[in-house]
Order: sequence, then C-alpha cells, then structure tokens
Amino acid sequence: MARMKFLCDADRCIECNGCVTACKNEHEVPWGVNRRRVVTLDDGQLGEKSISVACMHCTDAPCQAVCPVDCFYTTDDGVVLHDKDLCIGCGYCFYACPFGAPQYPQQTSFGARGKMDKCTFCAGGPDESMSQAEYEKYGRNRIAEGSLPLCAEMCATKALIAGDGDEVADIYRERVLRRGGRPQTWGWETAYEG
Amino acid sequence: MAKSKMSKAKRRRIAVWSTFLVVALSIAMPLASYSVHWLGMTAVAQDAKAVENPRSGFWKEIRQGTSGYSAVTGAEANVLMQSTANDWRNFKESPLLSKLPWVIVGMAVLLLLYHVLHGKNKLDSGVRSGRVVPRWSYFERLVHWVTAISFIALSITGISMLLGKKLLIPLLGKAGFAGWASVSISVHNVIGPIFTVGIVLMIVMWIWHNFPTMTDLRWFAKGGGLFTKNHPSAGRMNGGEKVWFWLLATLGVAVCISGLVLVAPMYPQIQIPGVELVRSMMQQASMIHVIAGVIWTAIALGHIYIGTAGTEGAFEGMSTGYVSEEWARQHHDLWYEKMARKGKIIDVGEARGPNPGYGHQQPRSSASSTS
Amino acid sequence: MKLKKKGSVDSQNNSKNALLGDAVNRRTFLKNSGITAGGAALAFGGGTSMLKKAQAASTSPQPGVKTDVIRSVCTHCSVGCGVMAEVQNGVWTGQEPDYDSPINMGAHCAKGASVREHGHGERRLKYPMKLVDGKWTKVSWDQAIDDIGDKMLKIREESSSDSVYWLGSAKFNNEQAYLFRKFAALWGTNNVDHQARICHSTTVAGVANTWGYGAMTNSYNDMQNSKAMFFIGSNAAEAHPVAMQHILKAKENGSKLIVVDPRFTRTAAHSDQYIQMRPGSDVAVIWGMLWHVFENGWEDKTFIQQRVYGMDEIREEVAKWNPAECERVSGIPEKDVKQAAQTMAENRPGTIVWCMGGTQHTIGNNNTRAYCILQLALGNMGVSGGGANIFRGHDNVQGATDMCVLSHSLPGYFGLSGGAWNHWASVWGLETDWIKNRFDPDAYETVGDKQVPPMNRPGMPVSRWIDGVLEDKENIAQKDNIRAMVLWGHAPNSQTRQPEMKQAMEKLDLLVVIDPYPTHTAILPDRKDGMYLLPACTQFETYGSVTASNRSLQWRDKVIEPLFESLPDHTIMYKFAKKFGIENELFKNIKVNGEEPVIEDITLEFNKGMWTIGYTGQSPDRIKDHMKHRATFNTTTLKAEGGPLDGEYYGLPWPCWGTADMKHPGTPNLYDTSKSVAEGGLNFRARYGVERNGVNLLAEGSYSVGAEIEDGYPEFTADMLKQLGWWEDLTAEEKTMAEGKNWKTDRSGGIQRVAIKHGCAPFGNAKARAVVWTFPDPVPVHREPLYTSRYDLVEDYPTVEDRKSHYRLPTRYASIQATDYSKDFPLIHTSGRLVEYEGGGDESRSNPWLAELQQDMFIEINPADANDNGIKHDAMVWLEGPEGGKLKAKAMVTDRVARGVVFTPFHFGGYYQGEDMLHKYPEGAAPYVRGDADNTTMTYGYDTVTQMQETKCSLCKITAA
Repeated sequence: MARMKFLCDADRCIECNGCVTACKNEHEVPWGVNRRRVVTLDDGQLGEKSISVACMHCTDAPCQAVCPVDCFYTTDDGVVLHDKDLCIGCGYCFYACPFGAPQYPQQTSFGARGKMDKCTFCAGGPDESMSQAEYEKYGRNRIAEGSLPLCAEMCATKALIAGDGDEVADIYRERVLRRGGRPQTWGWETAYEG
Repeated sequence: MAKSKMSKAKRRRIAVWSTFLVVALSIAMPLASYSVHWLGMTAVAQDAKAVENPRSGFWKEIRQGTSGYSAVTGAEANVLMQSTANDWRNFKESPLLSKLPWVIVGMAVLLLLYHVLHGKNKLDSGVRSGRVVPRWSYFERLVHWVTAISFIALSITGISMLLGKKLLIPLLGKAGFAGWASVSISVHNVIGPIFTVGIVLMIVMWIWHNFPTMTDLRWFAKGGGLFTKNHPSAGRMNGGEKVWFWLLATLGVAVCISGLVLVAPMYPQIQIPGVELVRSMMQQASMIHVIAGVIWTAIALGHIYIGTAGTEGAFEGMSTGYVSEEWARQHHDLWYEKMARKGKIIDVGEARGPNPGYGHQQPRSSASSTS
Repeated sequence: MKLKKKGSVDSQNNSKNALLGDAVNRRTFLKNSGITAGGAALAFGGGTSMLKKAQAASTSPQPGVKTDVIRSVCTHCSVGCGVMAEVQNGVWTGQEPDYDSPINMGAHCAKGASVREHGHGERRLKYPMKLVDGKWTKVSWDQAIDDIGDKMLKIREESSSDSVYWLGSAKFNNEQAYLFRKFAALWGTNNVDHQARICHSTTVAGVANTWGYGAMTNSYNDMQNSKAMFFIGSNAAEAHPVAMQHILKAKENGSKLIVVDPRFTRTAAHSDQYIQMRPGSDVAVIWGMLWHVFENGWEDKTFIQQRVYGMDEIREEVAKWNPAECERVSGIPEKDVKQAAQTMAENRPGTIVWCMGGTQHTIGNNNTRAYCILQLALGNMGVSGGGANIFRGHDNVQGATDMCVLSHSLPGYFGLSGGAWNHWASVWGLETDWIKNRFDPDAYETVGDKQVPPMNRPGMPVSRWIDGVLEDKENIAQKDNIRAMVLWGHAPNSQTRQPEMKQAMEKLDLLVVIDPYPTHTAILPDRKDGMYLLPACTQFETYGSVTASNRSLQWRDKVIEPLFESLPDHTIMYKFAKKFGIENELFKNIKVNGEEPVIEDITLEFNKGMWTIGYTGQSPDRIKDHMKHRATFNTTTLKAEGGPLDGEYYGLPWPCWGTADMKHPGTPNLYDTSKSVAEGGLNFRARYGVERNGVNLLAEGSYSVGAEIEDGYPEFTADMLKQLGWWEDLTAEEKTMAEGKNWKTDRSGGIQRVAIKHGCAPFGNAKARAVVWTFPDPVPVHREPLYTSRYDLVEDYPTVEDRKSHYRLPTRYASIQATDYSKDFPLIHTSGRLVEYEGGGDESRSNPWLAELQQDMFIEINPADANDNGIKHDAMVWLEGPEGGKLKAKAMVTDRVARGVVFTPFHFGGYYQGEDMLHKYPEGAAPYVRGDADNTTMTYGYDTVTQMQETKCSLCKITAA
C-alpha cells in the first residue's frame, strides 16, 4: 500500500515558485489562499536555502487531532483530507499545524473565517471523485486520474518530489549519494514519525 | 389597568422560567452525554500521552520557528515551521483539558448537595412589610441581563465546541454536529463582542462598590452566613458579591480579550497597530480562553444558584430593581441603614405573607420603568 | 480507540453509533433541519466552494467532456519549455507537465506553471481602442486600421517613410518576426527593431565577430556535461529557472559552479564559489582571471595556435591586469579571482554563461568578447560541456533576432548592403527597384566617400527611438524626426530614460500599441488623442515556430481561439499591408485565408532565404515531426535515439544546413570539430577574410571530423567548388542556380550540400578572432560607465568620445562622463529580473497567480546604506537618478547587495514617479499589480557598437519617503 509523501530537496529548490502557481492553476485557488509556499531561509546570505512547503499529510495529523468537528480523514494512500461540508472555520487546525498548511478564504460578513482550505495532495475530497462539486470545493483530483500532485510534477528543478514514501526516499537517497553530504529530509521527522 | 398589570406579571414569570430552562439545559446537555461517553474519553486522554514530537535531529533551528522570506504574503507565511504548534496540540489532548469540564459538573453537584442538605436561605422575618428598597437601576439590570443571557449562550456554544467531538457527534452524527457547531461558532463570535461590552460596562458601573473593606473580611470570617443563622454585616455589596465581581473583572476580562484574539478572523485581516497576531499568541489565547471560560462557567453556576433558588428574595432585586426591606436588612444591613437614613425606603403598601411569588411587588414609583 | 478514521468518510456508517439512529444520514438530516445551507448562512461562514461561480463554470474541467491535448511552448523565457494544454470545447481547462519534452521534462517555473491563465485573460486589452479627448473609446478594427493607415500615409508623404517607426517584438513567433521585418522593408524603412537590441545585441555583435555566429553555442541540456560552470551577470535561478534543472544535475555530477554577480542571487546560493563584483567591471574580472591563466600556463596552447587569432594582443592587455589592479577596479581580492581561474583551468570542459548583467553596458561588446576570449584561452570552445552558453531572454528573442527584426540587418544577418537586398528581393519574388522606390531616395550619411541612402544604412535602434523623436532633426541622419510610433509587443518600461520617453510619446503625431495588454505605454504619456491600442492575441491563440536559446526550433499549435476581439499579429500585418496597398507584394508566395496568412507558407519562404545561419532545413513538417516524437530524444545530448528521427537533434538547432530534403540533423553544439558537419559538427566560421597583416586567419591543422580539406579553408563559393573540382557534384538544376553565388546566396542549397558532402563547413574553417579590428576597441578594454561611482578610475579608464552619428543619431559618451555625479548620487543602481515576472511585466502582472507573489515594487539596499540614509525595511523610499527621474518603492534591506549598490527589478509599471496611473488604463485592463518603473531613473548610456542601453550600472540616491 502506497504511503504518499512530499519531499523538498533544499539543495535543489531555487524558490522559483513554480509549485505555488502550479497549485493555483490546477485548482483555481483564489487570491489570498496559498496551499503551497516557498520559504527561503538566510535570504541573501551565504547558506541561503529555500524549501517548498504545503500540507505534509502527516501520519498522526495534528489537524485531525484537534478538529472540533472531526472533519479530517486519512485516505488509504495516507493523504490527509478534510470535508468542507463539515468544516466550521474555527482555526484550530491552523494553530496545530507545524507547517502552516491550513488557509482560510476571506469572508466579508463579520470578517469571519471561511471554510478551511489546504493542499489535498491533488486527491480532492469526500465528494464523488472528479465531480464538479469536488472540483469546486477541493480542486482537481489528480490521484483519481492516475497522476501525482502537479506542484511536484512541474517542479523546475525536481526539488519537490511527491509520491509513495519509499520511492521518494529512494530518489532522494540516490541524489545524496551522488553529490555527497547529509540527507536532509526536511519535515519528515515531524510529519511522518509522530 | 389592572388587567394589563396582570399580564405584565405573567410575562415576567414566563421570562424567569425560560431563563431557568436555558440554564438547566446548558448544564444538562453536556452532563447527559458525559455519562454515556465516559470510557471513550479516558481512552483518548491516555492515547494522547503517546504522541510526542521528537525534538532532535536535523534542521532543529527551523523547527524552532526561524523565519525567512516568502513570496507568498500573509503573516507568518515566511515561517517554515511553527515551533509551538505541537505544544498547543498537546494541550488540546492533555488530561488537564479533558478533565477540566468536570469542574462544572463538580460545582453543580456541590450546589445540589447544598440545596438538598441546607435548603433555601429564607427570609428570617417570614413576613413582608411591603416596604422595598431600590437596589438596581434599570440600566444596571439591562446590562446585567444582556450580559447574563449572552453568558449563557456563550457557555452553551463554547462547551459545545469543547466537548462536541466527544459528546455531540455520537448524538447527532458528524453532519448534524457540524451544523450545530457552525451555528455555535457564529453565535459565539457574534455574541462574544456584545458580552464583552456588557462586562466592560459592569466593571465601570460597579467597580466603586467593590473595593474590599474590613466588613468583607468579617463577612468571610462568618462564611457569608451560608451555613449560619446570623448573617454577617454587609454594605451594598457583600464579600461574596465582591469576589464575584473581581472574578468577573479578571477571569471575565481574560476570557473577553483572549476571545477577541481568537475571533480575529483569518489574520491579518484585522490589524491592530503594534500587535502582531501570530499563531503562538492565538494558541495562548485559546488556552486562556478555554480554561478561564470553563472555570468561570462553573463559578457562574454558583452565582446563578445564589441569585435564584438559593436565596429567598434575591432574584426580585435583579428582576424588578427593588428588594424587600426584610431582605435588605438581612443580607445588606449596612446598606439598608444607609438607604434608610437617606429616606429611600418606599412603601408599596402591599404587605404579604411569606414566600412571595417573584415579581409581584410593583413599586408605584417605578411602575413605568420596569414595564 | 482514537477517534480517527481511515478511509473515506461515510456519513451513514459514521452515524451508526449515534443516538439519533441510522435513519438520518447527513443530507437528510441537514435538509430536514435546514441547517446545512441555512446554518452556513447563519454561521456567516460562507460556502464551501473556493471559486467564484462564474469562473468555475467558465474554465474548470468538466467531467465527461472530450479533452483535447494541445502542445505548445511556454511564452515566457528562452528555455523553451513544452506546455501541454488540455482543452474542452475550446476552453483551456487544464495544464499538464510535458514530460516528453527533452528540454524541460515536465518542469516549469512560476511563469510556465501559470500560462493557462492566458485562457482567462481577465485583464487583457479586449477591443481596439482610440483615445478621444483623453478617453479610451472602443472602435472597430477596420476603423482603427483606416485611421492609423491614413495618418501614416500622410506622414510618409510629408516626412518620408522613415518617420514611422515599427517596433516589433521577441514575442512574435519566427514567422511573424520574419513577416514583420519584411513588412517594414516593404513599407520602406529600416526603422524597425525589437527587444534584442536591449537584451543581447552586444552578445550577438561581440560573439558573432569573434567566431562567426552570435548565439548560444551549446544548449541547456549540454551543460550536464560541464565540469565547471562560470556564471557572470546571469541569475538563471530567477531568469531561466528550468535551466537550473540541467545545471544542478551537472553540479550533482561534480561540476563546479562559480557565480560572479553584484548580488548574491538565488543562483549564487547554489554555487561552489560566489564572487561579488562591482557592477560594470566585467572586463577587469575576466582579464584578472586570464592574468592567472597566463601566469600559470593554464591556457590551451594547441587550441590557441590552431584556432585563435590575436591572442598575443590579448596577453599584452591582460598583463596590465595584475591582481592588484583587478582588485582596484572590480573590488575582488586576488585569492578569489585566482581560485575561480584555477577551478576553470582544472575542470575542463567548462562553460561560461552570461546574461544582461554582462550585456547591458556602454562597453557591453567588450564584455561579451572578453568572456569569449576566456573560453578560447581555456580551449573550452567547440566541445560538449564547454562553450559560451548565452541565455537569451524572451521565448523567441533568438528567433526574432535571427529573423532580424533589427534596424541594421535583413533576415539571417544579411545586413543592408545591395547584395543583401538583392538576395531577399529574389526570395520574395520582387524587383529590388520596386523595394528601393518604397524608401526615401535621398542620402543623409557618408560612408567612406560615398553617400549612402537610408535603405542601406541602419535605422534607429529601439533604445534610441525617443531621441529620434526629440533630437533636433538637423542632427539625425534621415529626413525628419520619428512622427509615428508603433509599439508592437513592446513594454516601454523596459527602456531607460522614462521621463524623456514620456516627452517623446507626447510629441509624436501618432502612437499605436499593438499588444495583448495596454502596456505602460497606455498610461505614460499625457495625451488627448492620436493614440490607439489594438488587441493582439498571445502565442497560445495562434501557431508557428519558435526558437529557443539553444537554437532549437519548436512548433506551437493553437491552444485556443483568440480571446475577445484580439487578432494574431500576422493577421494585423495583413490588415496594414492591405491598407498600404502592398499586400500582393508582401504575400506573393504566401497564401492568405481570409485575412490570416498561412503560417507554414511563411516558414517555407524563410527556409528559402536563410542560408547564412541554416534556417533552411527546418521545414514546418520537420519541426512538427520533432514535436510529435520529442520523447525519443536524449535529454542530455538532445539526439534522437531510435524512432523515425534517429540521429537528428531536437528542434533541428540551427545551422540545419541545406534544404529540408537534405535531412541535416541540426547542430547541437557550435564549432564542435569532433563530429562531421553532416552529423552536426562544425568549426569556427571564416568571416573576416583569410589573412590580416600577413597573419593567416584560417584554422591551422584543425578541422571537423571527415573534412576532405584537412586544414583551414575560406567560405564556399561557386568558384571555389570549381577550383576544388566539386562543381560536378551539383545537379544540373543546382548548377544553374549556384552559378556566381556563394553558400549564403545559392538558393538551391547545392553549394552547401556539396561542401557538406565533402565533410566541409559551408562557411569555411577559420580561427576565432580575439581581436575585432572593426570595433572601437579591437582588444576589449575596461572603460568606466558614464555615471560611475568610481570617478577616480575615469582618468585611467575613460569612456570613448561622443559620436556624431551612430545608428543615425548623435551619441554622447565623454561629455557625460566629464561630470562627476558620484558625490550627489553615491549609490550604484543596478537592475534585474524576478522569477514571477517577465520583461515589462504587463502580461505577468496581469496574471493573478503570479501577481499575488510580488505585490510591490521594491529596492534592495544594503543594511549599511539603509542605516546611512535612515531607511527601514519595508518602508517607502524615493530613489532619484542623476538625470532627474525619481521613483517610489518599498525598501528591502538585505545583504544580498553589497554596500554602495542598490538593485531594483525592472518589471514594474503603471505608476509614474510615485503616482498610480490606474485611471489612465482602459477599463478592466489594468494589471493587478502596478508600481514605479525602475527605468524612470536609469540614465543615458549606449554601447559603442550596438546602442545597447546601460541599465546595469547607473547612479542614484535614496531618501525615506
């Protein structure tokens, strides 16, 4: 059984934001909501590193643990999804997520939070796969189409890898072996060893 | 005229009973499910202990929340990893939080026991002279009731959010509870600010009456007369009321401020100059809010009890604005003497026997103001 | 016991334990209780959908609807990334990674990953617009063409054809670019140009004059074979992100990456060695490195002896650049320079990469030649993994340059001589005299002792058109000033001296913008009338070939029909041609469907004339075949392995010699003698004669594999074939056409075919020349910028004298440098790209997916300078230039730039000197993000050979706003 994971190779990421716009493109994510972002550390200084981050689809997902309405669920592929019909926009998942994944569209009335939106690993949501309803709420369901998340598929330097955890780790290990240095599977410890 | 007076009285009675019903429901609803899901809850609490974030290894600094640059805008978009997220999650799953609601249950049980064992604090005199003392102005009562009703609504909705996953989802199903929770959170968000205004007004109105004095010490020394026959001396506010006030001024303010931080929607939509609404701040606010809120709710039960079923003649003060001379003398002797000296005692000319129904007294002088 | 559930949510299942019982599932519960919608509404929580309804309906993929997959190529940079568009019922509903493309292998940067937004086009210019009394008014296409045409014909009558300036674009596909140049020629002017002038013109001039062709010699993919990569003035991570895929792969294979740049760029962040240089000191840096090369005997002596002319003169110049002098000028300590030189010497083959950081200088041509010479000295040319990998900017700037949308040449770099006109006239099937009559017959310039008319003299360059408008007409070498300006796919904010441009735009009789977006032009001038905006469509709404930086041609299919009332550029050209009555001549060999010329016919026409650079073998059918079978190409060598195209190189990188029938595979790496010419090998071009001052200019003992002449040889002519006894290899038909011609003008392709048959390069086999004796500085030398921060160096490294007529215009150098501005304007102002935007940014700033990522114009400033000027991070600041322009932007205080240097991105526009010009855009066509154009403060300064503008080294001062 596949266990889907994201891995961002910080030695390859160039902060081109291709992953960010690929996501916007694929799911028509509105202005102000960013399911994925790239963070550059030590910006402009020696040792500068960029890392693309979105929902890591944690093994023991904190969002799921704290959600008061229990709207999260983990698919057989290990993808953490949520049901927008249940979500009440309370913001708890946003407090609990180490990666800053949950996003809230701006709502005009009383400035309340809207329904939470986050990376779906391009796996849609609880609605019927590849239906119009699913697209409008969660974006495109690439997993159901037999593809992988578009951010990783379109990554300019193949820094962002998505797929079965074992395969992802193999690709990365091979790279590290070739170039030397320590493997730095950023975020994995937090996301997948809980 | 008489007929309309009657219906007014009737209306008031209905209002009072409704209030009781709401209070009762607010306590009963979580309680009912508690008994049902006792086991499930403890299991979760135990499980939570096993979840720990290993804090060693690579990129330690990043995990401690180092920020960088991100083209994506929004507060903290430039923070790769939130260091406090796991702490908050641990709090949410901690035994502290899961056991906290028992404080409310405990309080309810204590009050019940008291009521059963001790019974109502009755008026010593047993008869009423028909003279009343004006105690709460119309504005004071308005503020009190708006705040009180808000409080009840906030308690119910707040407790729903806190315990719904364990108690209400099994009752209503996920979808049902999602509907309930979505209403709850909105009610909570809308009423919260109204409640905050009430709390602020109360503090402003009553702070001058609530500075502690030596009388209060003596009042406490005598246990507030809860368990004795002789009531200790008290001014307009007795020691217990003052404690309640200061709880309101501290816990209440904490709940309100932390609540406002939380209601600040998907930040940074609301921007407070000089204050950065970061997640760690919201996490702390949420901890304060839930702890203070639950404790306050528990204490509020006491207040409600004393003000209603626990003390004869207390409720009419907050409902009509007037208390009977006898009640005033018994519970607030110093204040009564002061009011008497000032000639504020009013004779409504309706001497009655013991156990009067609430709200029957209608002081002539303030007939218009209470309708 | 955790309250967690694996698998998908099943509400029925979930409520099994619920006290309300099984009968109530989610939907019925919500329906009955009225909680779902009502609850949500009550809850002020809004709906569950992320999307605006209208948008979702119009561009979202529909289940069960047939999806067409259409191949195109990204329109943002020169890497040439394949784009796979999913289209349903004519609506662009999805974009998939193009894994089959050997260039990008599915990868995209922010821009490439967002091209589907072109199918939304919310902020496009939607209809032809005319400025009436200061207001944009919708007009019909026919009326617009009529109005504009009448005005132009009147100007032509009064002031000659040279008073209308046709400013084209690197956004054209090859066919449109070619047609545009031809169109300008038939209109009768050389006042035609495009962005290449302000992009890589100094590269093209410098490089072509060094070894023959002015293009990237190898390819992005080939960099995987490099052992060392030397970047100077190139920030590939932001400007060519997908190229980084190949670069980082090389690095993982052990290649050393050196980045020399005034900024610690995203590319520098991945380097093994980063060197911070002072802007404008490129020659000093390269000569400083070469000093160590020569000092340590690291040069490739055999290579130099066989294939390089003039290296001794270089040695003399380099000898002056000892480590101390290099450090004095560039600010780089000896050990860094030596380390870089040593890395390059010890890791061969190594490649050099440069971009605008090297080219956009008054001595840009010196810089580019210095880079070439470093590679020649190290023997890194003509080898896989080596070469000069010059990354071009726009998606088709290489193609548009090759088609010579340039004021100084006809397509294929034929120049403007009588012979060039004759050649093209014959390709076009026209009489040269007919074309001649279209031009102003009077002469305004003297070359030698001959009066030369405008037809044979370079027109004004795009960098200087404003002077063509504003300069006293007595001082310009044509009849009258420029009176009508057509900006056809050009962002004016990418040009320096914005305040003067504003004046020029206001002075013009007629100003026409033809573009998918209104551009900065729409809002810059304060005009009441005489201005038109015509909506062109993007390249996704038309089709044709496009040349990537590595000289590979790719074919774009039409993804969607033109949006709104926009039209393809070639259709608009037809409309104008018809208005001017030249449509029969312009489209003599080209079929026109309605008003749309057939693209393939245009390709076939230029195939018949572009012999100089081998754009002759890439017929539309062959290019399309390459697109179809692109999965069969090796991603490192770009060579097809098996399949129907076995042995060919992807996109038939030019030169693809001879006719399409010859099936030349294309030339993956220029000047690579390890392959035969027939298989894509080559040697340096014989372009500058065979001998100079008694020294042989032809190669000595070096030739491409299989050449029957095992030494240098001149370029092929009919006579040479006869001398060699190869004339009889021509067919009878070829003989007729080849008689009296040479490899460039023989329209049969026979001379090329026969030369290649004998293993020879049609253009001869010569040495590269390190000394370009035809240039102002034959040996590249360092010269201080006109506005220099190091006035103390001016005495030793002064600029050149002012020139009376340089591309028809007086051009100032020394008279500007005579004043020291560095006291009042102490900071160096340099500029560059951001990954999210491209060029003037009108297109990318109108794309919400990109615009959201860069919402403010900003200025990078070193913390020390920020402190000196009392500037805080994120605060607004004024930046003022020495020519009076000023701009307002957010301060980004960062160590990325050195002390004394400020950097601004050049993509912003829509503001003028701190003021938002939103009200001047046609309604609904303003970009989402606007800001002050950094070129508002960029100053005068033009390359001594090509009139390249200086945007990388000006001066400024900064104050808190």
